[in-house]
Amino acid sequence: MATQPVHTELRKTGIGVVGDVPWGTHFFMFYETKQDLLDTLVPYFKAGLETGELCLWAVSEPLTAEEAMSALRKAVPEFERYVADRSIEIVPGQQCYYPGGDLDLRWAIRNWTEKTNSALTRGYAGLRISGSTAWLERKDWKAFCDYESEVNHSIGNWRITALCTYPLAGSTAAEILDVTRTHQFAIARRNNGWEVVETSELKQAKSAIKRLNDELELRVRDRTRQLQAVNEEMRKEMIERQRAEEALQEAQAELGRVTRALDLGELAATIAHEVNQPLTAIVTNANFCLRRLEGVTPNLDEFRAAVTEIVNDGTRASAVISRIRGLLMKGASRRAELDINRVIQDVGILLRNEFTRSRVFLRTDLAADLPLVAGDQVQLQQVLINLVMNALEAMRTSTARPGKLLIRSAKSTDGVLVQVQDSGPGIEPGLANRIFEPFFTTKAEGIGMGLSISHSIIESHGGRLSIVPVSQGALLQFTLPVIPTMPHD
Amino acid sequence: MTEPDSIVFVVDDDPSVRRAIKRLVESMGLHVELFGSAAEFMNSSHPDIVSCLVLDIRLPGISGLDFQPQLVAAGIRIPIIFITGHGDIPMTVRAMKAGAVEFLTKPFRDQDLLDAIQVALERDGTRRQQEAEIAVLRERFESMTPREREILPLVVSGRLNKQSAADLGTSEITIKVHRANIMRKMQADSLADLVRMAGRLGLSGTK
Repeated sequence: MATQPVHTELRKTGIGVVGDVPWGTHFFMFYETKQDLLDTLVPYFKAGLETGELCLWAVSEPLTAEEAMSALRKAVPEFERYVADRSIEIVPGQQCYYPGGDLDLRWAIRNWTEKTNSALTRGYAGLRISGSTAWLERKDWKAFCDYESEVNHSIGNWRITALCTYPLAGSTAAEILDVTRTHQFAIARRNNGWEVVETSELKQAKSAIKRLNDELELRVRDRTRQLQAVNEEMRKEMIERQRAEEALQEAQAELGRVTRALDLGELAATIAHEVNQPLTAIVTNANFCLRRLEGVTPNLDEFRAAVTEIVNDGTRASAVISRIRGLLMKGASRRAELDINRVIQDVGILLRNEFTRSRVFLRTDLAADLPLVAGDQVQLQQVLINLVMNALEAMRTSTARPGKLLIRSAKSTDGVLVQVQDSGPGIEPGLANRIFEPFFTTKAEGIGMGLSISHSIIESHGGRLSIVPVSQGALLQFTLPVIPTMPHD
Repeated sequence: MTEPDSIVFVVDDDPSVRRAIKRLVESMGLHVELFGSAAEFMNSSHPDIVSCLVLDIRLPGISGLDFQPQLVAAGIRIPIIFITGHGDIPMTVRAMKAGAVEFLTKPFRDQDLLDAIQVALERDGTRRQQEAEIAVLRERFESMTPREREILPLVVSGRLNKQSAADLGTSEITIKVHRANIMRKMQADSLADLVRMAGRLGLSGTK
């Protein structure tokens, strides 16, 4: 018997106490009178016809096919139409079990299978049958029980509803038990009404289902709780991550601010403004004096005031210059023990976008176990940024192939050595000894302060910034002395 | 001390520069008033006499360049000379387009500043004189009757008395009388004089 998918769709039985059942329901009733049969089977088949099922009613004593037919005709509107299109067959019971005069239950099962297939092919929702056993001979009881048992086992896979009717009169207790065992449930007349009698198997199955359902619900509830916990965890993690990202952005912005504040171009503009103001006053006052000197009688008080201001403004301009020098040379107060590799890595991160934009590949070759140096982190960053930016600009002029920049750190005889080497056009030999001079520049828009200030910064750290002649590109390096190891007390 | 006939306002945040400019400009016999910021200048009262403004660009608070349109918006039509530490071309173009007299880079030549101040004061003087003249003309115009104000555009557009009479549905002699009154009230010596006055009042001769 080929199996079909299990159908969960519910069918109307038409029998009030039973209500709706799934496909594959196999139940039985014990009847006492003909009326008992009509009371249940007429509404049973009426519901089947009206819900598009193919109906097969195998009648036997005390009911005849004619009686069944006329009862249905009364109960079902348009019954003739169902008869005409063979939606319902009413046949003598034996016909379903005795095809050639002998009981053939294998054939009976095949018959149900074929009928079901034919029902589905003809466009019916499924097959509804009822079979009576009044014809059954006692000698066949055992075989029939086996047949019912097989039907009961396999019917669940089929679009069949089967209601078997057994005469109560003359059934032995053993037989009643057999029937009960081979069906899912029973309906029986009690006190003038019909009741559903559940078999112990059904009860067990139902309680098993209920238990499973309860368990499932528990598991779902448990799982939901777990998911909620995981969700909460993830939400917290997201908030945490968001906070971390905000903090990172803040840190980067802060780093950017520090770098910008020390941007050499801006520094130069500030110097220009700070020095220009007193110079303007000096020039204007001096011009005033010159004009007064041409007059016939110069007012000496006025004259003295102007010259005094010239002196004051000159001093002020000079103070601005020393303030800036002091800013660069500021000594030990900001010095800290530094890992120069960290400074190099920070600059690499800081200028990542610049590398991408210039299509330059950065390679770092950093020596492990470098001694710490004493330095001002921001100033040393500034020097490195300056060297790297110069290299990037130099390589931008030769755009043919992607540039390469190597930053190397190493131990040197008297401390730590940092080298920045690019693959650009290199430094003209004639200019090598001039590039550290203030205001010397080879760039169209340069101010010529970068290397000069970098030089001063490295000198103030007790190191040396220099050019190393190389065959290709430019190589600038600086040294920094290590912190003298203090004996611990 | 007598009331000055003109005044030079200087706005620069550097007191030293302010004082030097004041000394230089005063040596030319001009009256100078100093301010440290644009706000300080706005909050002071300015006598209604010929004046100009020497304005630094780099100022605390609002910059000199941004202050210029504010003055225009406030109806203060004072000629401006900009001074700046470093002026770039876009900055200069912007200032000159907005009507600046001059744009000087610090430290400027004293003569350049004094020349610019001279030009600025002259420009302000001319503007004030023109405005005063127009005010007088407007007063004369207002003294005429509505009918005379109606006939004036016809007269200055060169229409004959006969034609004007036809336009207004009146007699030629009436137009003649009105016309004599118009000439007298506007104090015009000739028709040409009247046409010039109408032009300055913005009364177009042609209909």
